[in-house]
Amino acid sequence: METIITKLNEIFNVRPKILRDRQITVEVDKNRVSSMLLYLKNQMGFIHLNHISCVDWIEEGQFELVYIVWRPEDKTTVLVKTRIDRENPEMENIDTIWDQAHTYEREIREMFGIEFPGLKAPREFILEGWEGPPPMRRDFDTRKYAMETYETRPGREDAQNVREYITKRTGEKVPDFAKKYSRD
Amino acid sequence: MSDTKDIRIITRPTKEQIEQAKIDFAPRCTSAGRVNDKETQKTVEFILNFARKHSLFLLAYGTGCGAIEIPATLTSRYDAERLGIRGAATPRQADVLMITGYLSVKTLKRVIRVYEQMQDPKYVVAFGSCTINGGMYFDSYNTIKALDRYIPVDVYIAGCMPRPEAVLKGFAKLQEMIQNGNAGNGECYRKNLDWYRANQRKVIKNWDFPDEYNW
Repeated sequence: METIITKLNEIFNVRPKILRDRQITVEVDKNRVSSMLLYLKNQMGFIHLNHISCVDWIEEGQFELVYIVWRPEDKTTVLVKTRIDRENPEMENIDTIWDQAHTYEREIREMFGIEFPGLKAPREFILEGWEGPPPMRRDFDTRKYAMETYETRPGREDAQNVREYITKRTGEKVPDFAKKYSRD
Repeated sequence: MSDTKDIRIITRPTKEQIEQAKIDFAPRCTSAGRVNDKETQKTVEFILNFARKHSLFLLAYGTGCGAIEIPATLTSRYDAERLGIRGAATPRQADVLMITGYLSVKTLKRVIRVYEQMQDPKYVVAFGSCTINGGMYFDSYNTIKALDRYIPVDVYIAGCMPRPEAVLKGFAKLQEMIQNGNAGNGECYRKNLDWYRANQRKVIKNWDFPDEYNW
């Protein structure tokens, strides 16, 4: 644990944090992600890429990509986080380092609209014939889209907003951004 | 039998051509529609419907969570086979198409193809509230909300999920409808094909069916 933190600090000038037992999180610049992943894979023994995940920080106008790598010797996980711009998002393609990254990148490309230049198969992944905006972005209004696209049977108009009911009953405080992007 | 009409030429995989006598098929049984007498027709239809309702071959299209209720219904605890309900291997052998949950647009394409491959008389049983009004996926961007806009449905079984008792009750209703001659929706589909096709093309954006489906 300590050696990983000191090494990363020396080479990349970053400040890794211990998230919990055997989990380290580190934030880097977008341009240094692939070199850090290569260093972790080749020098530190993090041979397995668990997942690439994407978070939509709409208030800050950014996407956060999380690369989760793992090494089998001491079962340590490192989360490499990077932020990219939300306007015309583009990220370096790492499917030459791990083949399985290709699948995750295709999924992120379809669900969040982030382009990965040089992807082996930049075609549709799960959604067939999708013409709307990327559906996992937070500004995509899924209910509005569903009501416009699909025919519904009448009779659900008086359905209550369950979230509102629960917050009223428990006195929970909902932040403004959550209100803005909630269902109603 | 030396007439040329009774001989056919067969090309073998080795390009060798051989002559073979035509097989003399037995004359087919006359169907129920050919009986002119009305009273007799009633009797024949009664017998046919009786036979149909007691041998329902089930094509379980297991989408969503409802697929898990089918093994429970068919196996020894609830034993649907005592009512004549059992599984079929392919769409062409099946009488009942059972849709057990939500359908995404991608799955709807496959369901339409399966439905059109089935032979008359065919029945559709829709299962769970997802097929009725979308269920808990009513605001999902990728699932259809009302199945009967896309293929005709005979029996809806409400519930999320319906228990095997409810499933058997639904099948009892279907059997009653078959006996009264109300079930069977292939003809309805063919008659209103334009309406169904328009609805299907509205949600399926990349219509890439083979030519046999583009009537």
